[in-house]
Amino acid sequence: MSDMTTLLRKECVENLSVFRTIVMFIFVCILMSVYSILLISNTEMSLLDNAHAEYMLTELVLILSLLVTLLLGSDGIAGERERDTLEVLLLSPVNGRSIAVSKLFNILFTWLILFVLSLPYLWALAGNGQNLVPSIIALLVTGTLCITIVGGISLILSIKFQTVKGAIFTGMTVFLLLVSPAILGSSLRNNAIGRFVDAIDPIMGAINTLDSVIIDSQGISFQLFRLGVMLFYTIVVLTSLYYISRKVEL
Amino acid sequence: MNILRNIIPHTVAIIFLFGSTCYVSASSTPAHIQVILHPLKTPLKMGDVPAFEGEVTNTGKETLEGLVVYLSLVSLEKGNEHPLDLEDWSAQKAVLIERLLPGEVNRQQWPMRLISAGRFALALTVVEAGTTKPIISDLVEFNVLPKKLISSSRILPIAIGEPLLILILILAVNQTKRLRHRQKV
Repeated sequence: MSDMTTLLRKECVENLSVFRTIVMFIFVCILMSVYSILLISNTEMSLLDNAHAEYMLTELVLILSLLVTLLLGSDGIAGERERDTLEVLLLSPVNGRSIAVSKLFNILFTWLILFVLSLPYLWALAGNGQNLVPSIIALLVTGTLCITIVGGISLILSIKFQTVKGAIFTGMTVFLLLVSPAILGSSLRNNAIGRFVDAIDPIMGAINTLDSVIIDSQGISFQLFRLGVMLFYTIVVLTSLYYISRKVEL
Repeated sequence: MNILRNIIPHTVAIIFLFGSTCYVSASSTPAHIQVILHPLKTPLKMGDVPAFEGEVTNTGKETLEGLVVYLSLVSLEKGNEHPLDLEDWSAQKAVLIERLLPGEVNRQQWPMRLISAGRFALALTVVEAGTTKPIISDLVEFNVLPKKLISSSRILPIAIGEPLLILILILAVNQTKRLRHRQKV
């Protein structure tokens, strides 16, 4: 247990002290700042409803965090393999499963930091407080589930692929597949196939939940099915990661 | 010219609500349904969430079943008249009245979030299964005044302050680390 705690602490502290992670946090902040300044400097956008602006920001935070997750996950095991540090890790008292858990924990920790960084922006955009608390809760819940799903998938790919490049390319394909309904737009998703894809896609589930909670002010009963779908994917991905991570090899 | 200016927006609204002009002349209006959409008396501005009240009355002597009631919104901005998708304006797009007894009045609230400014018109449409013509209420016109909802006084300090704060924090942490390292050496 103490080995596991040491590994978790090492992963998080190491990740936070790496230059690229810090640059990434600053970059995300700057992006949110640019977005917020655009809202007030553009005449049409400054007339946007607060809830709309909040929804757009939560969507931006979610997509950015998923991209960061994809990179961190793909680098997780394959990166250690490429840097020749996986051998040292495997020789230590921790097993492959513990390594995968610590990597996933690190991804969730990074997500939590990104979420906290977005809170002041959400507060500033909410204005008179319209749906602020529900939007924060919705972003935290849907974001955590989506990050676990994408993080888990990218870690599985990272275990299976020998190089980071291979894991990133495959992960990116999976990511594009998951967010493709959003690229198509709502009008093209209005038929039966579109609605079916919307219903089974966990990322679309998260985006639709944010829309429903923030813009339409709909309660938890409206979100149960989408949350159920996301939870199902989370369980499937975590179970797969549990079994696949037993065979972490050089 | 003035008559034309008044006619154009209403024509756009009627074409949008009926779908096509052929549809208007398809059959006679069933006289046993009356639909009314009540106009709001208060001035409206962006960000408001007013609720329009609709009424569907069975004026006939037979029970009506499976009536679909839906709201239609049209922008009447001069030169930019067009139907609007209710997607972000209202979460409640349609209501199904399963049964309406003779003389019974069904009242519905239609909450709307006013997300943009301009001149708009609303109408309530009732579609009865087995009839060829929908029944539409009179157009309810309303103006939405513009209002800046996103205030720069809240956003600017955050947008400039947060990245700067993080940068300062990182520099401070790095400086502390360097000092500790030097002391050790």
